Amino acid sequence: MSSNLLELTGVAKAFPVPGSGRKRASIRAVDGVDLTIPQGRVFGLVGESGSGKTTVARCVLGLTPLSEGSIVFDGIDLATTDSGVRRRLRREIQIVFQQPMAALNPRMTVDNLIAEPLTTHHLARGAALRERVGALLEDVGLSATHLHRYPHELSGGQAQRVVVARALASGPRLVVLDEPTSALDIVVQAQILNLLVELRDEHGLTYLLISHDLSVVRHLSDRIGVMYLGRIVEEGPAEQLLDSPRHPYTRALLASTRGRGSTTLDEPPPISGEMPSTWDLPSGCRFHTRCALREELGRPTACETTDPASVTVGTRHFAACHFADHVRVAGGGQPGPATPAPDPSKGD
Amino acid sequence: MSRLLEIEDLTVDFSRDGRVTSRALRGVSLTVDAGEAVGVVGETGCGKTLTGLSVLRMLPDNATASGRICFEGQEMLELSTRELRSIRGRRISMVFQSPGTSFNPVFTVGYQIGLVAERHLGVGRKEGQALVAETLHAVGLPNPESVMRFYPHELSGGMLQRAMIAMAIICRPSLLIADEPTTALDVTIAQQILRLLRRLQREQGFGVFFISHDLDLVGDFCDRIAVLYAGRVVEMGATAQLLGRPRHPYTRALLEALPGRAQPGAPLPTVPGAVPTALDDAPGCPFAPRCPLVVERCFEERPVLASVGPDQAAACHRWDAL
Amino acid sequence: MSVSLDSPEQLPEAFRSTGMRSRALRSLRRDPGALLGAIVITTLVFVALAAPLLAPYPAQGQGEANVPARDLAPSAEHLFGTDHLGRDVLSRVMFGGRPAIGVALAVVILAVLIGVPLGMVAGYRGGWLDEALMRTTDLFLAFPPLLLAMVISATLGASLFHAGLALAISWWPWYARLARTVTQSLKHEPFIDAARVFGVREPVILARHVLRNATTPILVQATIDAGTVILAVGALAFLGLAAQPPTPDWGLMVAEGRTTVVTEWWISTFPGLAIFAAVLAFNLLGDALRDVLDPRTGGR
Repeated sequence: MSSNLLELTGVAKAFPVPGSGRKRASIRAVDGVDLTIPQGRVFGLVGESGSGKTTVARCVLGLTPLSEGSIVFDGIDLATTDSGVRRRLRREIQIVFQQPMAALNPRMTVDNLIAEPLTTHHLARGAALRERVGALLEDVGLSATHLHRYPHELSGGQAQRVVVARALASGPRLVVLDEPTSALDIVVQAQILNLLVELRDEHGLTYLLISHDLSVVRHLSDRIGVMYLGRIVEEGPAEQLLDSPRHPYTRALLASTRGRGSTTLDEPPPISGEMPSTWDLPSGCRFHTRCALREELGRPTACETTDPASVTVGTRHFAACHFADHVRVAGGGQPGPATPAPDPSKGD
Repeated sequence: MSRLLEIEDLTVDFSRDGRVTSRALRGVSLTVDAGEAVGVVGETGCGKTLTGLSVLRMLPDNATASGRICFEGQEMLELSTRELRSIRGRRISMVFQSPGTSFNPVFTVGYQIGLVAERHLGVGRKEGQALVAETLHAVGLPNPESVMRFYPHELSGGMLQRAMIAMAIICRPSLLIADEPTTALDVTIAQQILRLLRRLQREQGFGVFFISHDLDLVGDFCDRIAVLYAGRVVEMGATAQLLGRPRHPYTRALLEALPGRAQPGAPLPTVPGAVPTALDDAPGCPFAPRCPLVVERCFEERPVLASVGPDQAAACHRWDAL
Repeated sequence: MSVSLDSPEQLPEAFRSTGMRSRALRSLRRDPGALLGAIVITTLVFVALAAPLLAPYPAQGQGEANVPARDLAPSAEHLFGTDHLGRDVLSRVMFGGRPAIGVALAVVILAVLIGVPLGMVAGYRGGWLDEALMRTTDLFLAFPPLLLAMVISATLGASLFHAGLALAISWWPWYARLARTVTQSLKHEPFIDAARVFGVREPVILARHVLRNATTPILVQATIDAGTVILAVGALAFLGLAAQPPTPDWGLMVAEGRTTVVTEWWISTFPGLAIFAAVLAFNLLGDALRDVLDPRTGGR
């Protein structure tokens, strides 16, 4: 039994294009994703809209069935048909959402909202239930005064705390955080981030963090994967990836999110153009149409013709770019020789 | 540098059934010069959007504004509806957060933008559409003639935002109010839009009133920043100074709370509590209950916005302790 | 950015949402139409229930004839006059409220009980179940309700009960459609996803998460429909397909007076006004209910 709590292998999800009729065209929102998360770690999945990161999260949560590949949690394949096992998995994997208000039934009070996972799995009843709900509220920094409130009577931060408390109710081991702070104010975001770190340490949780905000990802994650158009284009230890990114897209994302001086607005943007549509993918490397590096290198043909394989660019750091060793962030990052990436399923 | 906009002591009250139920803005004062970008930042409920809407007198029915808003020499709060209509979209324009909801879904993009030109510039349909094509090109949209014929839902977020900017600048306004213009966009697209706005600002010389909750963004784009808290300006000044050495504990709290500036995994410094409600009228500083530097005086005497350095002002009794 | 209330601990009393009763009172106070509707309905129901005690001529109200006193114009003894059989019209209008409101409520409740669960399941599951339901409702909706009611009454015999049954059968598809639409709009909400992630079973999701958020449109529609059903029952009674004489029924009474609408106008007019009042009141109340029931907009 590996110490990996979560293992995704060759995960792909295709959605039929509505109205495509006989042709039955489909969009591959996720197109071959491998990732592993050891117990107690945080994996940050970064990407913009259309990258497929939300679909990956939904697959892990069992909200969307896979088209290909497998997801294994603690040695159990999520596609298992054993209903008892499936019930158990429902306790073990939980979610914190982006919009706290939308994640809470507007007609239910806080105490019922938090109690729902407990009652669904018959984990507590009566006085014990009330006690557990009270303890969970305290864990997230709320008090008994909030018990009988409706979601619309809470502030954004308080609502998100309720969402977190509810997520922890069934004692999960893996929590999927889907843009947990994107809809929150700066100070509230900091409070929630602190809470998430605290809870992870206290309960030994494992997080799969989905976000477009690199600073949040950097703050929480041990390991980061960058997604573009359904694939992970770069993956590695958080600090290493952010200090010396080896994929041009990662480099552009970083340039788009770091605090910087006002002169940069006079320079060209880190990425030009729009995300290509998923049903009309560029040939070769999916990113080549917007890649600044490709321009710098004089448009080598490989980018247009061949889909780059993942190469090792550092310790457990992989990037899918033909020219990964040419990627430089201004003022940092030493390129190293690129070697073909080892097969992740062999536990490397 | 000509003064475009001068907001002085703007107060906005909401009332219901004849009673004032909340005071959303309290004595806000700001200026914007031609070619200048002024950022207005704060958290939810601080009144930043309301300030922008007040300039255009686009307040809800139950809101009353008092104070002075002087735009190009005209007192906005005293103008008639007809006079206002000739200013909105023509001399002052606005770009909103969600490009999708700012366009009418049943008309093409070109038609809607054309309407603005026809109405304000008095041009005919053909001339208007030519101007639309030209403006769409100016905002960086490829194939303007075909884009014009698209419906809003057929364009991506980034393209739609460009179209909205086109609609805002087609009449060459002197002032552009941008309310969270990039919040709903991907970060890489946001970078493109910001550069577009900057370029247009340089080319056309309009002033920008930039409303945002994102300090980093405002730090990049704006020449001056005003920080709002509970309906008041608590700090204001040149960007570099304000972000480099904030002189109000709230500004500092905002900066420190950003995860990008802290060590990964380390607890982020935060302030306890939450933003006060819009009805509170306690004496003293509105930030006092949460302020790490608070002293007795803070609860008794409300600090006024006073100069704390060259081109920087803060409303804090303890500004020199920062 | 999320829109949120700030620090509710410090919310002044004016903003605090304090439960259904005060919300109800607040919105009734503010909307004169709603207030009127509520008053009229309450009055009609009360009168209908207390008819045996309130009616000046209870026996006549229930059908006993008094032919010598027939066709009397409204006077002090007979405020609404008497009909062709000498019965006090006021008393009959009072008693007539019973079948009218009773059947209206029964029909609506039955239609809701049949239509809503079907619509919810179809809306949530989609697929062939949804298709099957939609085609079934199409079938039912293709018939004008009155026509269907006529057919059923003609087949089973004319009576109030059969009229009610016929109307319920005609009405349930609307609720199925309504429930289906609301369910479809809700099923992608994050809080439904959350429930699925917890492992909540589908029937519980439907009852606890979908239904509770669907009650407002359904209840509003049901209230307004109650008025419409009264009208429909009235029409059926007018055609002789519902209540039979001597039952006091507003529609029947209108029918009984139809030949003398000009000369003995009071025989048709007062029951007609009663129908009008009831329908209007239910409509007004339905609007008011919408505000009261939604905890977010309640009392605003």
